Amino acid sequence: MKLRNVIESPCGIRYMLDQLELQSGFARRWLLDSSMMTDVDDIKASYGVLQRFADFVKRVEPLFINTLNHKLCDLKDIRTTIKNLHNGAVLDDIELFEVKHLAILASDVAKLLAQHGMVDVVEIPDLGEVISILDPDGMKIATFYIYDSYCAQLKDLRAYMRQHPEQQDDLLLQASVLEDGVRKDLSRQLHPFATAIEQAQEALAQIDVNLAKAIQMKQMGLTFPVLSQDGTTAYKAMFHPQVKEALATRGREFQPVDIAFGGHPTLITGANMGGKTVVLKTLTLCQLLFQFGFGIPAASAQIAVKDEIHFCIGDEQSVEKGLSSFAAEMKNIDAVIKASRENKKLLALIDEPARTTNPTEGAALVTALLQVLAGRDMNLVMTTHYDIEPGDARCLRVKGFENGTMDYQLVEVQDGEVPHEALNIAQSLGIDNEWITTARTLLEDSLCKRAS
Amino acid sequence: MPFINDILRYDSLSIVGLEKNTGKTECLKYVLERLPVQTKRIAVTSIGIDGETVDQVTRTQKPEIHLREGMYFGTSEAHYRQRRLVSELIDVSDESTSLGRVVTAKALTGGKILLSGPSSASSLRRWMNEMKQRFGIDLVIIDGALSRMSSASPAVSQSMILATGAAYSASMSTLVSKTAHVVDLVNLDLTNERNLQRLMPLDKGLWFIDKDGELHSLDTMTSLSKDIHFQGMDGCETLYVAGALVDGFLEKVRKNKSLKQVELVVRDFTKIFVTPQQFRLFIKKGGRIRVLQKSKLIAVTVNPTSPSGYVLDSDTLCAKLSEAIGLPVYDLIKNKQ
Repeated sequence: MKLRNVIESPCGIRYMLDQLELQSGFARRWLLDSSMMTDVDDIKASYGVLQRFADFVKRVEPLFINTLNHKLCDLKDIRTTIKNLHNGAVLDDIELFEVKHLAILASDVAKLLAQHGMVDVVEIPDLGEVISILDPDGMKIATFYIYDSYCAQLKDLRAYMRQHPEQQDDLLLQASVLEDGVRKDLSRQLHPFATAIEQAQEALAQIDVNLAKAIQMKQMGLTFPVLSQDGTTAYKAMFHPQVKEALATRGREFQPVDIAFGGHPTLITGANMGGKTVVLKTLTLCQLLFQFGFGIPAASAQIAVKDEIHFCIGDEQSVEKGLSSFAAEMKNIDAVIKASRENKKLLALIDEPARTTNPTEGAALVTALLQVLAGRDMNLVMTTHYDIEPGDARCLRVKGFENGTMDYQLVEVQDGEVPHEALNIAQSLGIDNEWITTARTLLEDSLCKRAS
Repeated sequence: MPFINDILRYDSLSIVGLEKNTGKTECLKYVLERLPVQTKRIAVTSIGIDGETVDQVTRTQKPEIHLREGMYFGTSEAHYRQRRLVSELIDVSDESTSLGRVVTAKALTGGKILLSGPSSASSLRRWMNEMKQRFGIDLVIIDGALSRMSSASPAVSQSMILATGAAYSASMSTLVSKTAHVVDLVNLDLTNERNLQRLMPLDKGLWFIDKDGELHSLDTMTSLSKDIHFQGMDGCETLYVAGALVDGFLEKVRKNKSLKQVELVVRDFTKIFVTPQQFRLFIKKGGRIRVLQKSKLIAVTVNPTSPSGYVLDSDTLCAKLSEAIGLPVYDLIKNKQ
């Protein structure tokens, strides 16, 4: 799965990408086309590189980072040209210019990084020979034309042309034949370097991406994750950068959350507006960021690698497919159950399943889901408002409404009993009193009936 | 040599024809032949309707321009490949037009090139900035597109030359009055310093400054709207139209008694879409129109020959037009002979 495919996930990973200060459009495309890592060694290697860039960002002058970023701005997407070179085509002036431009850029960036001991972090192939082929006069500037020094005959012809502008059209025609010969020759000489040129382009994109990720880590206060050995995932002071930013603009603070989950399913209950959905969003976001090698929004994080990540948020209606919100949700959860049978390592984050149907059937569906998934090799975190039998699930509860403020911390509780705070919260929102009082009377009546 | 020295005072010049065959290309050639390439770094480009190869109206092939050795130019990939000169590539942009990306190069010999260039005013502006900053270009010359004034906007170029002629109107008096109207708009004065500072950041909507100097927004967003009420604007000093200024709106302002003293401000002359009649009526009744940005009109050139073969008398045309606009007018084709 590519980053491109999850970019619109409701967990908000797009925000992280939008906030990433990438210098070139090519690096952005390269990043979007990168695949989610599911191999422990790949993830380790990726964070190894990012760690070097994070240290680099910490220790070098901001001015130097600017210089490097300014260079990386010049990275262009020349994949079509490289493909032509691979295929043995004769490159035209614009393509030869692009190759020279990239080769000089790669050499400049390599030199800049070498100044700060960043030689072995991302390997940039040495394109010195490419440069000398395209820079016969040793000018070391990224401009190009079919230079006089490629061909003595061409040089003479051009000199003659300058003196006889009246014959220019004829002479240009003669010159173009010679120029074509030079282009053919240059393309032949460059052909063996096609792979190295391609690698250089990717290396520059990788540098751009890692530098941007490192800067983002510093700006947002992100952390490096530890790879989980025992399959449990645990976060200390986890936050959602986009929600945090939105709150900050309204002068409010995001309350970070600690959470851990592993073998047993985890059930989160809690009052309305208790931030349960935000917890699931953040868990999804963190898992995706981890498997795409970004910094993690938490004080510390220990994360288990998964093959698939499923985030089922109940309130999406699939209008195009003609599904109601209930049907869309059932289909999503169905996909989780099917995937769990395929012996894959899964993380499933399910927000209030069956919330849009009647509570009797809804509770039965949720209890059954818990039972069905309990035995599978997967991590399940689920929120609900239904009073259900938790089985062997771990139950977490949002601390909730205390002294007029919401405490978003999660505490472990022994059973899955759901808090009955809906009416209090509605009242605190200033909802119509008649409505709330009537509801309270009905509730008391029904409790009395049950008791007697 | 007329007006060449005037051009060198600015860092950008756009050449705009009021109609096809008004001699815009002649004018560009005239300017390029005379600029001092030895002492100034000069770059030439064009703005096309999304990189037109052929003129969108007449379907005739765009003419090739002769560049001199040492001149920089921006054109599309497709036109670069058809160049008839030796040139050194210095940049290939990321932005793509229908004729491919915009390529920037330096002419190493004189020769001919088809000019196309960035396809929008904003990408043209980016290109121009790049030319100044990266390549130390002193003067950028823009071959403006037919009936598209956006390239002549002061937001893009500091100075302009207007090409007009029999192709615009075969009646001399109509030609003179229509051209004079455009010149009047280009020459509108800048508003005062205080207004400049306060209004420049506002790029949309209708705004007014009351007699106490307070800035207010009108509920209506554009001057195109049918129901505009100038409530609470008695004694208001400045009325600012950030978008297009149209006839109906100008008429409402003129007829509104409480706006007798108002100074109407628009961003620049390219935002004014009013008929010469409404404009004159407004000015005659004591109305004032000012702009936030202004480009210097360096010269007006005429081509007395229309493509249908009709020829106006060059000397009379130049004299009449010059009298109407208070600026020298040149017939470059005639003067060359």
